Amino acid sequence: MMNDRLRAVSGQVIAVAVALVMGAIIILMVGESPVRVFMTLLRGTFGDQAKIAGTLLQTTPILICGVAACIGLRGGMFNVGIEGQLFLGGFAAAWVGFAFPLPAGIHTLAGLALAVVAGAAWVAIPAYFRARYNTNEVVSTILSNYVAVLLTSYFTIFLFKRPGGWSETPPILPTAYLPELFDFSRLNWGLVIGLVLAIGTALVFRYTSWGYGVTMVGSAPKFAEYGGVNVKRQGFVVLLLSGAVGGLAGGVETLGVHHRFMEGFAPGFGFDGLIAALLANGSPVATIFTALFFGALRNGSLLLEVDTGASREIITVIQALIILSVSAQVLVRRRGDSQAGERRWKF
Amino acid sequence: MEILDKLVNVALIAATLRTTAPILLVALGGSFTTKAGIFNIGLEGQMLAGAFFAVLGSIWTGSAFAGVACGVAAALVFALVFAVLVVSFRANEVVVGLALNILAGGMTISLMKAIFGTRGSIVGQGIVGLPKVQLPGARAVLGSWAPLISGFTPIVYVAFIAVPLLVLFYNRTRLGLYIRVVGEKPEAAEALGISITRVRYTASLLCGLLAGLAGAHLSLGYITMFTENMSSGRGFMAVAILIFSNGDPLKVLAGCLLFGFADAFSLRLQTFGYPSYLVLTVPYVVALTALFALSYRARPKIIKETLALMQKLLSADRNTEPGGKHPS
Repeated sequence: MMNDRLRAVSGQVIAVAVALVMGAIIILMVGESPVRVFMTLLRGTFGDQAKIAGTLLQTTPILICGVAACIGLRGGMFNVGIEGQLFLGGFAAAWVGFAFPLPAGIHTLAGLALAVVAGAAWVAIPAYFRARYNTNEVVSTILSNYVAVLLTSYFTIFLFKRPGGWSETPPILPTAYLPELFDFSRLNWGLVIGLVLAIGTALVFRYTSWGYGVTMVGSAPKFAEYGGVNVKRQGFVVLLLSGAVGGLAGGVETLGVHHRFMEGFAPGFGFDGLIAALLANGSPVATIFTALFFGALRNGSLLLEVDTGASREIITVIQALIILSVSAQVLVRRRGDSQAGERRWKF
Repeated sequence: MEILDKLVNVALIAATLRTTAPILLVALGGSFTTKAGIFNIGLEGQMLAGAFFAVLGSIWTGSAFAGVACGVAAALVFALVFAVLVVSFRANEVVVGLALNILAGGMTISLMKAIFGTRGSIVGQGIVGLPKVQLPGARAVLGSWAPLISGFTPIVYVAFIAVPLLVLFYNRTRLGLYIRVVGEKPEAAEALGISITRVRYTASLLCGLLAGLAGAHLSLGYITMFTENMSSGRGFMAVAILIFSNGDPLKVLAGCLLFGFADAFSLRLQTFGYPSYLVLTVPYVVALTALFALSYRARPKIIKETLALMQKLLSADRNTEPGGKHPS
C-alpha cells in the first residue's frame, strides 16, 4: 500500500516536472529566459519573511476552494462553479460586515455563516437538477459562474457602492475582521480555517460511514446503490456542501484580506482550487500541498510582472500544462484496465 | 407598444443572425464530438485560441482570410491535443477540456503581453476585418428587409449553410454514419471493423475547424479586436445546447437562434439604459433555464424507459418460469 502511494506521488511529481519543461519552452517562445523567470518566481515566493507570508496568503483561498472541489470529486461531482460561489460568499460576508453592526467575534462568525449559506444556495439549483434529473453539473455550474460574477458586480456598483469609491462596497466594520496572525502581513486566521477544514474533511471521509458512502458513490455508484446508499440525495448534499465551502472561501477572503467587496476581487481562485484538488487526486490533505504550490506560483507571479517582461498569466499556462500532463501520464500507466471500463474522475 | 417596436425590428433580427453565427458554428462543431460520443467542454478554449490567432494572422499577413486560416489552425492544434489525450490516452474528458480552456486563456494573455506589450485588448495595430458580402439584387427584391439576407460577413453565411450540410452529412455520408455509430453503439462499431480511434480523431478535428471559424468571427467579424477571454462563455452555452439537442443540426440551430436572440436583445436593452450588469446575465440565464427546463421535460422519457425495461425484465422472468402459469 505504501508502495502504491509512493508510485502515485512520484507519478504526479514527474508530471509536474514535464509541465515545467513545457512551460520553459513556452517562456522561451514568448522571448524570456526560463531561468530568469523561474528564479524570479522563487524570489517572489520565498524571498523573505513577508514574501513567505504573502505566499501563504495566496494559498488560503486556493486551499479552501480546493477542499470544496475535493468534496465534489469524492462524490463523483465536478463542481466547476466554485468561482461563482466564492464571489457570492465574498459579497454576502462583506454585506454582513458593513451593513449590520454586531459585537466583535459574533460579527465575523455571522459574516462567514452567511457566506456559507450564499455559496450553498448558489449551487442548490444545479445540484437539485443534477440529483433529480441528471442534468450535467459541469455545464450548469460553469454557466452560473458568469451570472454570479455579473450579479455581484451589479450589487456592488448599483446597490451598495461606496460614495466616491471605485466599484467597491463600503469597508466592513472592524468588528467583522478575521484577525491577522502577524503584524507584518495581512495573513490571517483564514489559513487556519483552511487547514482545519482540509484535515477535518479528510477525517470525515476516512472515519465516518457517511464519508465512506460518498467515496463509494464517487467511485462505484452502482455498488453504492445496491449497498443501500441514496445516490440521488447524496449527490445533492455533496454538491451543496461543496458550494458551501466555496462560499466560505469568499467570506474568508473579504473578511480577512480585502475588508470590503470589490468587483473582480478574487480572479481565478475557484479554478486554482479545482486544479489543486485534481492534482491532489481528490485528497484534502494532499490538497494542502498542491494549494501551497499554486499559492507560491501565484505570489511569485506578482514579482514576475514587475521584474521581467513576462505576463503573470504564464503561471496559468504552467498550471494547465501540469493538469494535462498528469491526466496523460497516469493513464499511460493505467491504460490497460481503462480501455474497457468507463472514464473515471481519477486520471 | 412603441418601445416594443423600437426593440423588435429588422435591425434586431439581423443582429440576431449576426450574434447567432459564432455560437452556431461552435455548437455545430461540438455536434461532431457529441455524435461521436465525446463530451467536449473544451470548445470554449478552441474558440478563444481561434479568435486570438485570427487577429495575429490578420496583422502579420494583412489579409483577413489568412487570419481566419491562422485562427482555424490554432483551434485545430487544440482539438488535436484534446483528441490525443482523450481518445488515445483515455484521459477524463472534463479534466482535459477544462485544462485546455484554462491553457487557452492564459496563453492568449501571455502572448498578447509578449507580442504587443499590452494587457486587456488588441485594437487597431493593422487588424484587417472580414469584408461584408452585399448580395446583388437583395435590395431590389426585399427593399427594407434586405439586411436579413445581405451584408453579412462570409462566416455568417458559412454558419447557416452548414446546418443543412450537416443534416446531409449525418444521414447520407459514410463518415457521418460512422460517427453516429461510434457515438451510439461503440461495440457495434468495433464489430463492424470501424476504427473508433480514427473516427473520434476525425470528429475532434472537424470540431476544431468549426470552433476556429467561430473564434475568427468573434475577432474579425463585426468588431475587429481581441479582448481577454472574449469568447465569454459562448463555448459553454454551445455545450448546453448540445446537451439538450443531442447534436442534431436542426435542433442545434433552434437553440442557437434562441441564444443569438438573447444576445442581441441584451445588447439592445443596454442602449435603453437598463443596468448593463443585469442585462449581460440574460444569455447565461437563458442557457441555464433552457438546460434545466429541457432536462425536466426529458423526465417522462426516463420514466417511460424505466417502465419499459421493467416490463421487459418481468416478461423475461415469466418466460423462464417453468410450467407456464400464464393467465389466459
